[in-house]
Amino acid sequence: MADKIIKVAVAGNPNTGKTTLINAIAGTNLHVGNWPGVTLEKKEARFKYRDYEIHLIDLPGTYSLSNDTAEEKIAVEFLIKEKPDVVIDVVDSTNLERNLYLTVQLLELEAPLVVALNMWDEAKSKGIDIDVEKLEKLLCIRAVPTSAVKEEGIKELLDAVVEIYERKEKPKCVLHFEDQIEEHIKGLIDKIKEVQPILLDLYPARYLALSLIEGNVFFIDISLNNEIQKYVQNVREEIEKLYHKDPVTFIVEERYSIIISIYEQVVKKHVVKSVDITFLLDKVFLHKLFGLPIFFLLMWILFEFTFELSSPYVDWLDETLSSFIAPLTAQLLSSLGASEWLQSFVSEGIIGGVGFVLVFVPVLFFLYVFMAFLEGSGYMARAAFLMDRFMSVLGLSGKSFIPMIIGFGCNVPAVYATRTLENPKEKILTVLMIPFMSCGARLTVYAFFVTIFFTQHKTAVIMSLYLLGIAVAVIVAFILQKVYFKSQSLPFILELPPYRLPTVRFILRNAWIKTRAFLYEAGTFILATSVVIWFLLHFPVGVKKTEDSVFGHISKAIAPVFEPLGFGNWQAAGALMSGFVAKEVVIATMGNIYAGEVIQETEEEKIDIKEKLVQMGTGFLQANVEAGKKLLSIFGIDLAGGEEEEEFEKTLLDTVKNAFTPLTAFSFLVFLLLYTPCMATVFAIKQELGSWKWAGISVVISFTSAWIVAFVVYHLGRLVF
Amino acid sequence: MKLSEAEKGKRYRICSLKFPPHMKRKLLELGLFPGQEIEIVQDAPFGGPVKIKVKDYCLALRRSEAENIEIEEKNGR
Ligand SMILES: Nc1nc2c(ncn2[C@@H]2O[C@H](COP(=O)(O)OP(=O)(O)OP(=O)(O)O)[C@@H](O)[C@H]2O)c(=O)[nH]1
Ligand SMILES: [Mg+2]
Repeated sequence: MADKIIKVAVAGNPNTGKTTLINAIAGTNLHVGNWPGVTLEKKEARFKYRDYEIHLIDLPGTYSLSNDTAEEKIAVEFLIKEKPDVVIDVVDSTNLERNLYLTVQLLELEAPLVVALNMWDEAKSKGIDIDVEKLEKLLCIRAVPTSAVKEEGIKELLDAVVEIYERKEKPKCVLHFEDQIEEHIKGLIDKIKEVQPILLDLYPARYLALSLIEGNVFFIDISLNNEIQKYVQNVREEIEKLYHKDPVTFIVEERYSIIISIYEQVVKKHVVKSVDITFLLDKVFLHKLFGLPIFFLLMWILFEFTFELSSPYVDWLDETLSSFIAPLTAQLLSSLGASEWLQSFVSEGIIGGVGFVLVFVPVLFFLYVFMAFLEGSGYMARAAFLMDRFMSVLGLSGKSFIPMIIGFGCNVPAVYATRTLENPKEKILTVLMIPFMSCGARLTVYAFFVTIFFTQHKTAVIMSLYLLGIAVAVIVAFILQKVYFKSQSLPFILELPPYRLPTVRFILRNAWIKTRAFLYEAGTFILATSVVIWFLLHFPVGVKKTEDSVFGHISKAIAPVFEPLGFGNWQAAGALMSGFVAKEVVIATMGNIYAGEVIQETEEEKIDIKEKLVQMGTGFLQANVEAGKKLLSIFGIDLAGGEEEEEFEKTLLDTVKNAFTPLTAFSFLVFLLLYTPCMATVFAIKQELGSWKWAGISVVISFTSAWIVAFVVYHLGRLVF
Repeated sequence: MKLSEAEKGKRYRICSLKFPPHMKRKLLELGLFPGQEIEIVQDAPFGGPVKIKVKDYCLALRRSEAENIEIEEKNGR
């Protein structure tokens, strides 16, 4: 016997615990955060309950159903078009008054409501008493106290859902406004019935009438009959005449006056002698003098945490792949009689590509852990609060600062970190600025060049590159503002939620879901690009020198583009081409190209699997120890020992020294800084902004600005020196 | 007077909002309608946003936005 399917939509204000609740109900892994508006996509969970199959859909958090922001459009359209069997309205019990605004609008939409009075635990400890039965009576709904983090009230909530689903008749319970306006509403509905009754089949009557009067018709996709428009205009004028208020203000106030009367009947506050932790913490974290230093300290810890802690694992993965898995497969293939070409393809093209994907995993995981903590605790909103003044100069809001900081470590997680920006314009602009933040991988190239050309001014040169990146980002942002976004500054309304201590499970689950998503989606793309590059390097079959490969030919073909920048040789062009795959491989490619070495350097050494396995195991343990030491050193306890100087091959140093002058080397570095960071970033942009169009635009912007700036630098340099 | 001129920690009442329709609706729906009690709790450094308390929650607004909210002192308490 097939179970009955109940389609349930979960609606509610941002930050009321919708996602946590769905997690608690269905036990599925969904994204959870403490940042208003985290859930932009619709997310689903399916499970069995009693004799029913329940389909849950997580709607984006909204404060109301009448603005036409992306979130509200999604929510309204879903509720109107998909007609869920039951709507769970998750409200924050500690903030009932504002939360009920959405509830009232949901009732106007005739949604079959179950109100989850979430955060019940918090309400209790704050001495807030809610008369649940009375609330149910006044609103003609079911209401159930829940505590999503403690997984309390879940069963009762689901029983209420089933009860509403099985209920035979709809309760008629209209929340009445003032008599005069009620007459107008009734009149308008009658008019619609008379001249365009189809509207009433499509939309709930009261919601439709009120929306028309308020003038928000974003959800109506058929053109309105003239008579209706005239009628609406009349009502609006009538309201202004009678109440000396614009219709929107009037109707919002009407809703709130109903809410306030309900609130006063239902909620009782006891004075509890307890400290308001949020108030106290904000005194510190938002302090006029100390707020910013504390924020920068936290950012520094975030940065160290992410990149230092992950680096031992990155090294371990790298080592395991390159000195164990890759040679082992090559050996295996050769024992099976595979050609050298195939061996190289599998061990370098495929396993190498897998390596490019895997090295991001530890970085992303650690970053997501920290971000989940910042979001879950409520600090993220404070960071936005503190940085807003500075970012507003660029037409952005404070929320866009954190992704940019992360960009200095690695652009890929930085792009993913823009998930927390709900305004699309701001998000696009931030994502387009991120590639100019000089990431850690680019530093390896700078380090190589400065040891050759700028031994006296290493730090100054590297610093100047970082600053140049920021400057270009700012200029690009300004231009985009003027040209594309027409420079209207964004409204800034940010809820500052109470501080909450997120659970470890919340954080780890959160970090893992996101890392897994990266592996699945970006993984294939990065792997594919790496395979393509491998083919370019190894075609035609049997090619011995990079120069003669397809890669070499392409490099030669594009080299003239760089002529005006001072480095028009095919070797430099080839290095830049490989830099598109990942900046980490630029130096290695240069080694290949300049030293004119043969491409394959297969080590003919026998691999002892057992010994290697042991090495792999101890290596992982060592990585843990390393990470532990680094964790301590972040907090000032230095066990990690000094930094080791990087060693470069002598022959490579010499050839590069002859191929560049200090000026052309600097011009090369400028170009390297500014052009597309890597294919992983390009894919991240595509994912976050949802289309290849923006990824393409980013690539174009990066290349043009790289070319222009390097050109200017080179020619200015020639004048000066 | 304007919300941006309010004294910290003192309670006020909203008189009117001077915003373009879209923004005004948003603020109204968040509960910032005329007559509502409002309080500035904290402000950010260098003329950054202000943290205000309305109903049972806290909200951050830019100073330039706070300038468009007319308030009056809450008397009789
Ligand atoms: N004390 C307490 N905290 C809760 C409860 N439910 C959720 N939280 C916390 O509230 C925060 C926000 O939860 P989310 O589930 O991300 O909220 P949401 O409604 O999905 O938020 P958006 O997707 O941003 O709209 C998290 O830190 C949760 O741990 C609860 O019942 N009690
Ligand atoms: Mg959510």
